Amino acid sequence: MSAAALLALTLAGSALAHHSFAVFFDTDAQLVKVTGVVRDFQFRNPHGVITIEVPQGQAHITWRAETNSPSILHRRGWSVDSLHVGDTVTLEGWRARDGSRYIRLKSARLADGRMIGQPPPS
Amino acid sequence: MSLRRVAVLALLGLLGCSARQAAPPAASAPHSAAAHPDFSGFWNLDMKVPRDPALMALVPPNTAFMDDTGPVEFPAGNYGGLILTPAAQAAAKKWNPRDQLTPQNACRPPTIVYALQGPFPIEIFQSDKFIVMKLEYYDLVRIIFLDGRRPEADYPHSPTGFSSGHWEGATLVVNTDHLEPATITNNGLDHTENMKVTERFRLSPDGKVLMATQEYEDPAVIQNRGVRFIAWSRQPGQHVYPYECDPGFAGNYKDVK
Repeated sequence: MSAAALLALTLAGSALAHHSFAVFFDTDAQLVKVTGVVRDFQFRNPHGVITIEVPQGQAHITWRAETNSPSILHRRGWSVDSLHVGDTVTLEGWRARDGSRYIRLKSARLADGRMIGQPPPS
Repeated sequence: MSLRRVAVLALLGLLGCSARQAAPPAASAPHSAAAHPDFSGFWNLDMKVPRDPALMALVPPNTAFMDDTGPVEFPAGNYGGLILTPAAQAAAKKWNPRDQLTPQNACRPPTIVYALQGPFPIEIFQSDKFIVMKLEYYDLVRIIFLDGRRPEADYPHSPTGFSSGHWEGATLVVNTDHLEPATITNNGLDHTENMKVTERFRLSPDGKVLMATQEYEDPAVIQNRGVRFIAWSRQPGQHVYPYECDPGFAGNYKDVK
């Protein structure tokens, strides 16, 4: 077996980390903004996840937004109580490159317009 | 005194009396902690700090500067200035980012090669014989031995590896090996278990900023060398938080359309 083949075997399926923001999300496209009702809110590392139902005609569609690490968001005023099922929320972020209804959250605002937490330091 | 501080002090005590590795060489007699800068404390990544000329001047030739510190990440197919070997290029082409989002892999930590530069704080506990560096990212804990010991023959490879440090004036130089294979750039370029890392840490003159260069070399995957510059600002009175990664996160991406 050649050294290159041996190395390829060593690398295969080995090295993984949490998923890449740059690879998963389209940062060149326009930001996506969706408003809906919270169906689920998870606030655990590596990412929080907000699931909302957005009205579409007589039905509704599901959107998900993954947040930055909750450890980081905690220092920006977020908590597990920042959102509750039934809250109306507007989510803005970068859409997944594969076109699915999955975004990386940039900001979240409650129905009265208040932003949840503080933005990252500039 | 908090439970966390008690636990870390207990760890320091255990380390000080449980070394079954080779005895330190006589030439590396421990210095007094007061003789060196004190890195102890909570440090948060600070992207505003410019590259330190003194540290950068020590970077050897044939080393690419990797401008992806903090939340910045290279897109697919971009590895900064690193020159990949044919084998690494072939592996990177086969890389599928969706493989990261499985319950088996979502919480698998990277090594310090990728972890140290991330947008997470670190906390340092320092003695004259070793330094404990706790990274918030994935709860990684590094121990940097300052007494010249080397790992035993069967020492395992891990995300933090085995780190030996020594002082060159006010600069702490750390050499790390025994790292398990993991990502370098989080986009398909992975290092092998033979990765060698050299880090240099020093304080700013006012002691408020900790600066580091992290050089790495792994000839099996990169034909040149890489270096990142990382800086953290001291924030007294804070501690790193538990990370406690939840692999259930991976399921969230599966059922979206």
